[in-house]
Amino acid sequence: MSLPVYILRRALQALPLLLVISIMGFIMMRLAPIDPLAYLKANPAISQETIKAEEERLGLNKPPVVQYVLWLGNLLKGDLGISTSGGSVSSLLLQRAGNTLLLSVSTVIFTWLIAIPAGVYAAVYRNTIIDRLLSIFTAIGMSMPTFLLALLLLMLATKTHILPIGGLTSQDFFERNYIGKCFDIIAHLIIPVTVLTLIGLAAIQRQMRASLLDVLQADYVRTARAKGLMENSVIYIHALKTAINPLITLFGFEFADLLSGAALTETVLAYPGLGRLTLEAVQSKDMNLVMASLMLGAIMLITGNLLADILLRFADPRITLE
Amino acid sequence: MKSVSWANKETIEQIRSLLLVFVTIFIVLNACACISIESASGEMHTAVQERTSSATKEQKNLLDNIYKAPYPGDYKLVTIEEGKNLEEVWQARGGVGKAGGVLNVSSFGSGPKTFNCWAASDDQSAGIASLMYESLLDVDPWTAKSYPRLARSFSVSHDHKDYTFTLRKGLLWSDGYPITADDVVYTFGTLIAKGFGNSSARDILTVYGHYPTVEKIDDLTVRFHTEIPFAPFLSSLRMAIAPKHILEPITNKLIAQNKIGEFNNFWDINCNPETIVASGPFKLHRYVPGQRIELVPNPHYSMVDKLGHRLPYLSKFVNLIVPDQNTQLLKFYAGDVDLLDVRTVRGSDAALVKQREAADHFKMYNLGPADGTIFLMFNLCRRKNPKTGKFYVDPIKQKWFNNSYFRQAVTHAVDRKRMVDNILRGVGYELFTAETQASVYFNKQLQPFPRDIEFAKKLLEQGGFHLKDNVLYDSEGNKIEFTLYTNAGNSTRDAVCIIIQNDLKELGIKVNYQPVDFNILVDKASNSLDWEGMVMGLTGSRLEPYDGANVWKANGRLHMFDQRLAINGDKIVVSDARDWEKEIDNCFDKGATTFDLAKRHQYFDRFQQIAYDQQSFIYLFTNLDLSAVRNHIGNYMPTPLGIGSSPRGSMHNIEEIFINDSASEALKK
Repeated sequence: MSLPVYILRRALQALPLLLVISIMGFIMMRLAPIDPLAYLKANPAISQETIKAEEERLGLNKPPVVQYVLWLGNLLKGDLGISTSGGSVSSLLLQRAGNTLLLSVSTVIFTWLIAIPAGVYAAVYRNTIIDRLLSIFTAIGMSMPTFLLALLLLMLATKTHILPIGGLTSQDFFERNYIGKCFDIIAHLIIPVTVLTLIGLAAIQRQMRASLLDVLQADYVRTARAKGLMENSVIYIHALKTAINPLITLFGFEFADLLSGAALTETVLAYPGLGRLTLEAVQSKDMNLVMASLMLGAIMLITGNLLADILLRFADPRITLE
Repeated sequence: MKSVSWANKETIEQIRSLLLVFVTIFIVLNACACISIESASGEMHTAVQERTSSATKEQKNLLDNIYKAPYPGDYKLVTIEEGKNLEEVWQARGGVGKAGGVLNVSSFGSGPKTFNCWAASDDQSAGIASLMYESLLDVDPWTAKSYPRLARSFSVSHDHKDYTFTLRKGLLWSDGYPITADDVVYTFGTLIAKGFGNSSARDILTVYGHYPTVEKIDDLTVRFHTEIPFAPFLSSLRMAIAPKHILEPITNKLIAQNKIGEFNNFWDINCNPETIVASGPFKLHRYVPGQRIELVPNPHYSMVDKLGHRLPYLSKFVNLIVPDQNTQLLKFYAGDVDLLDVRTVRGSDAALVKQREAADHFKMYNLGPADGTIFLMFNLCRRKNPKTGKFYVDPIKQKWFNNSYFRQAVTHAVDRKRMVDNILRGVGYELFTAETQASVYFNKQLQPFPRDIEFAKKLLEQGGFHLKDNVLYDSEGNKIEFTLYTNAGNSTRDAVCIIIQNDLKELGIKVNYQPVDFNILVDKASNSLDWEGMVMGLTGSRLEPYDGANVWKANGRLHMFDQRLAINGDKIVVSDARDWEKEIDNCFDKGATTFDLAKRHQYFDRFQQIAYDQQSFIYLFTNLDLSAVRNHIGNYMPTPLGIGSSPRGSMHNIEEIFINDSASEALKK
């Protein structure tokens, strides 16, 4: 099967899946006993008419099925609706998507740049002190709650006055020149990227180590060594190429996370990302916004898996697209 | 259906199991970490408590010294000449400051929902609007008297039905267009009258079903007329005047299309900030979503300092959006923000913030008791749900809750002092009245009382209850037990409920405490009515007790202790008002139509007396308004009456506030 046909087939298969996800998401949001207008209702200064007008505007007074059909119809027309907090959903998502991509792409780059060499090193020098230290270090990173790590780093930043306390840009950002702007963003990214990298490091480093260890015990590696190949070329040319397969699958999953954001970290660090937006939306039952981020997440996951499968096909000639 | 054939099926199995193991370990470790943090924070609290006992002196200082900014005198009207425009401007009352400089403040939450002043219904949107718009008159933050703002003067007719305002000459919008009587007539006669934006404004102005008329006398004079004399009317007129030349084309179009609700989409958070036209000290410059709002001075703001320089002093006002309260505190410590405003300094943080005062170069201000209340209430509803035919409240429990001895016993059994000491770390006041100590109408005759468990037991006996083996029974032999709700995630209210639970245990009452989501709590109180006991909070008003009509009148939308529901979404009809509810209604109605201050006080004193006797809301405590400000901020003169919505907060005189460079340079050295 040729590649374009394969991609088309997978895309068609994804459509019913997306439909089911959207229905499930809608039902779950409806079942949640949250009233998106509760804050208005608890405010003595807000009149009954205002509340009724708000219900009308958000379509909350229509039956659920009608609401879903309306939502789906608008979605097919490319209209994601309006948010309870004001503004159209698509513009809200667009505002945040860039920030989240910036954060997640730099996190992915750092995680993989550190995790792959560390995993290879740990596998090659198995059971040495450095291997043990690496495993302790990654275990700590993985088991540390994100918000705690973020808060600790913020406290450190408060004490040292080197790094900014949360946010993405300084208040004088727009008065700076191009280079100044870049440095400002980099300074603001250091803490969130450190937090997310530390958290994500373990999974990849561990996977790399385990997978390479497996391969290093295989017969053909022994044969290669017996034939007198250099150790470096045995490991880096023959073994690593085989061991990388499971990591490509992992990469597919990571791809899905690119746009889903890290809600807790973003909240503690006041980072203007999609995760925080989605979390706030769920808490206030902002139907259109939650549904839009849910669909975005689902599409990213499906794309990520597809991408991983295709990459595997190129990385490993034994794999064929059926 | 598998689309990829794996070379090695075992590998995929391995990955799966590995992933599973990782996920499990992650979850377990996370859970452990969370628990250990929970317990650690518990330990931290006790540690803090011990530390505060060592800092008690400082804290006593903080509590006793309520800050009183000296009265700076009245505004003076001066005329300045700019080109051909003769302009009447107010002369500021504070000291002369320095122009230029950026002020950074922070707001907790997810940011404003609109920049449209007339559509704002949340705190931050209203706060930003208050920086951008002025009204005809305002209330003096020192004397509580109304004084003209956009107006040069105003007068009220003898029958209290006509209010005449004369605007100052030469006023301009930020785009250079003149502000005239047409803007006022448009604001009250069209924008608010037709219900554009937040229609609560229309309700506030409506007096017993009659909306006031507004007419233009000449270019600078307008007259309001109300059918019935209404005492709170003058302060209701404190509404932002809208720029007719910008908004009228839009509202006309919406009226023609019959789409009044779409006015909310105008000047929303996605609008171009440069299109917003303002009359206040600042205008919107930039909104960076999820991060901050930047405001710059309105070049035509009609106030000057004592040397005749046009205000405001600041060259930029930056309002950071911070979604986490701890981060907000850290940002202040780090110097990223210049002010921790009232409602940002939590009672539990106050002692620690106070300790850093000298080292971190800031000053803490205690503005006295806040206007918000925390209270316990019982569902007094005696009606049946018309849909199901069942009682909203179990008839057995209805009898207890409606028994005033029961409520009296509870109010004498709850330990308010412990709540203030333990939950607020001493930074608050015990509360016994419907108006807090902050209100100008606070009834001083109503005595606070200490916790008295024996007296409470006696009251219960008089009410027909009896105690057997430490369990309380009613006269028919039913065990006294009820469910207590509050909103989950609010650590203060959580602690309050636990104290109540323990206190009532001593009376033999079993309290089943259940935190629920805020949204659900509100739905229970205002709609489904299936609750028994609840701990809630409400904001109050320091100046006008009539603002509580929505809560206290029997047909109010927030008459939570016995909420009557609107039938078909229309008006709320009350058929089963108690005598004391009727008397409270009477107090509010009379209070609203009486202009004699002493008599008004009598009506609202009587209302507080009834509330105190009936204990339909069992008031617990009120917070202390604390703020902390860096030393290099000049002209900061907070007063208890001058507190508004965040980000303006306690900076009622924001136009005069300046950055004192010499102070900040001395700080660096």
